[in-house]
Amino acid sequence: MANQDVVNRVIKVTARVLSLDPESIKPTDSFVFDLGAESVQSVELVASFEQEFGIEMNEDAALAVDTVNGAAEFVAKFLK
Amino acid sequence: MTTQSTSTSQAPASPDGLDSIFRPKSIAVLGVTNTLGTVPHDIFVNILTTRFNGVVYPVAPRKRHIVGVRAYNYVTEIPDPVELAVLVFPGAVCEKALQQCVEKGVRAAVIISAGFREIGPAGLERENRVKAIAREGGMRLIGPNCLGVINTEPEVRLNASFARAMPDAGRIAFLSQSGALCTAVLDYAASKHIGFSKFVSLGNKADVSEVDLLRYLAEDPETSVILMYLESINNGRELMKAAREIAGNRSNPKPILAIKGGRTAAGAAAAQSHTGALAASAEVCDGVFEQSGIIRCQSLEEMFNAAQLLSQRPVPRGSRIAIVTNAGGPGVMATDAAISNGLDLAQFSDETTALLKAALPAAANLKNPVDVIGDAREDRYGAALDAVFKDDAVDQILVILTPQSMTNITTIAQTVCDIKDRYADSDKSLLCSFMGAKDVAPGIEILQRNGVPHYILPEWAADAMWRAAWYRQWLNREVTQIETLPVHRERAAAILDKAPDGYLLESQALEVLEAYGFPVVPSVLTQTADEAVAAADRAGYPVVLRVVSPKIIHKIDVKGVILNLKNADEVRKAYGAMRDNLLQHVKAEDVTGILVRHMIPAGKEIILGVNRDPTFGHMLMFGLGGIFVETFKDVTFRIVPIRASAAGKMIRETRAYALLKGVRGEPPSDIPSIEDALKRLSQLAHDFPRIAELDINPLIVHPQGEGCHVADIRIRLEQP
Repeated sequence: MANQDVVNRVIKVTARVLSLDPESIKPTDSFVFDLGAESVQSVELVASFEQEFGIEMNEDAALAVDTVNGAAEFVAKFLK
Repeated sequence: MTTQSTSTSQAPASPDGLDSIFRPKSIAVLGVTNTLGTVPHDIFVNILTTRFNGVVYPVAPRKRHIVGVRAYNYVTEIPDPVELAVLVFPGAVCEKALQQCVEKGVRAAVIISAGFREIGPAGLERENRVKAIAREGGMRLIGPNCLGVINTEPEVRLNASFARAMPDAGRIAFLSQSGALCTAVLDYAASKHIGFSKFVSLGNKADVSEVDLLRYLAEDPETSVILMYLESINNGRELMKAAREIAGNRSNPKPILAIKGGRTAAGAAAAQSHTGALAASAEVCDGVFEQSGIIRCQSLEEMFNAAQLLSQRPVPRGSRIAIVTNAGGPGVMATDAAISNGLDLAQFSDETTALLKAALPAAANLKNPVDVIGDAREDRYGAALDAVFKDDAVDQILVILTPQSMTNITTIAQTVCDIKDRYADSDKSLLCSFMGAKDVAPGIEILQRNGVPHYILPEWAADAMWRAAWYRQWLNREVTQIETLPVHRERAAAILDKAPDGYLLESQALEVLEAYGFPVVPSVLTQTADEAVAAADRAGYPVVLRVVSPKIIHKIDVKGVILNLKNADEVRKAYGAMRDNLLQHVKAEDVTGILVRHMIPAGKEIILGVNRDPTFGHMLMFGLGGIFVETFKDVTFRIVPIRASAAGKMIRETRAYALLKGVRGEPPSDIPSIEDALKRLSQLAHDFPRIAELDINPLIVHPQGEGCHVADIRIRLEQP
């Protein structure tokens, strides 16, 4: 379970990349199905998370992550 | 779920439900984007720009609009009923999207997205989940992993695909398992003004299969001919049944043409019998397609050449052709191609010859092919065509033109079209070959726009005419029944039902054949040389010794067959030699015994076989037998059970038929005895589903009236 700070930062990055209001993003939202991320934006999201958290992720594994919560948990593994 | 469902409580889709795919009143495209040049964008734009006669809604989360059309976050937010959903979301979220479609009461879906069975086990699981959602929701489903669907009907005008352009309306329906091939076909067809009624990319066929579509298109008034490109067949028996009903409907025949790709030698490698190895080859499709009236093509060129002709109703009535040409050489080429394809040059009546003589110059050739001479203009073409159209001995007419300086190409083309219109009620077909490229192009354009099939080469026209004539012949065939011959089924069952999976002993296999009335030479299983000699004395010399062992499948490899033993001494010596040799390969307890039987007199060697195909079930094979069977592949197949007339047809289809009829003074072979054996084999396979492979190789056929004999038999059992 990722802590709230990580979730908030994932939401912040997601809002910036997808040009959305952070308030409108819920942790359960799917990047594609709920937030409308296109394939290029999904790649951009992965790069932006890496930059935000100063980590390097396996791109294929990262792209398989579907939701905001899932992304926060995925990122959190690299922060331990 | 982030939104409330706004289900419209529509009734679930009917079991057929394909009208919701081809003639929807409203469409939602799920996963649309504003990014030009992407599938999710282009599909939506295609639906809009081809003036779909219904309402279309883009579902694009967090987007206000797509190319000026108000977008929805979820399909469930759309306030009106939605009949068809087109899914262009990434494969990973298609389950969620489809689930919402079910909540919304959507009746059918086309899943364009990839990421299903084609990517491996995880994709297959995803596909099964999607299929289950659709099934539980009463939705029909095309795809996933497809190009989409097109319906050119003016009242619908649906292009839910990412093809570059909407094709012209036409009478041809095209189904393809390859999406990429679809776009190539559309481009090719556009260049020839070939129109389509329906165009369907089947994709992974999670729900809607080629059989469903065949049955739908059979009832489609816009479709006259159905083309299919298939790589896999979900249910071979169902496909063949549907095809036979549709192509064979004499009151409303719809020809079906098919290319079957992807039949490789991989299956052959796994098979141990000759029949099994050959059944994995392309010949098996020839057999089942022939049996079902499907016109099998090897290339798109062949397929569209024939389709152009067959989309002109009615189906050409026969194989007698007339050629009208302004050039001798091309007339000869066309004649050669026609004759070698099995077509006939029509013999004109005296009236036709008189009409031609009155209209053409003295130098013209009034016989078939009619040569109107190089300086012919539209008047000569018109008069010649008028004459041959009136001749009752003509079924199909080929017009050939080469461009001389005085040839008024476009006027002649228009004349040809006028003649076609004048004889629109005739059941004769008219084809053209305006040979060349640049100069004849305007004439070809006129022909194609007026629906006259055109071929750059007369050989292609001949090929199309031959396929049409074949179809007509199949359509007019005598439909016979499946014969049930008197056999001792229980006697065969006593062996087959008790035997374990694997090969039957030869002695058992022979008994099974005997029970089914095959001509089997009596044999005795012996354990000692004395027993063998006694059996040989009773059988009469010469005799044959054959080892029987569950460990030996290929007897020749271990010298387990010794032929032509003329007396007791030879039998005794051969018996000892065979026994000594066998013990070098297998243990003594693995030798069941040695069969002794009278040697079958020489004759023509043929093979009869059965193979249980995973797609089509039991296939019956006939062909040239002996050791070269797999080299020459002179074989033909039919689905079991065969009808009474099929046995004769199978024999006549092979090159071996010429040998069986007798060559160079040889007497003809006893062909009726082979037909009888084929019918018995069909019945045996039909009665015992556990027969996985069966080879009678060779069946030795004697001169007419003397029958045939089984010389060797192998039967392998395996639970289906």
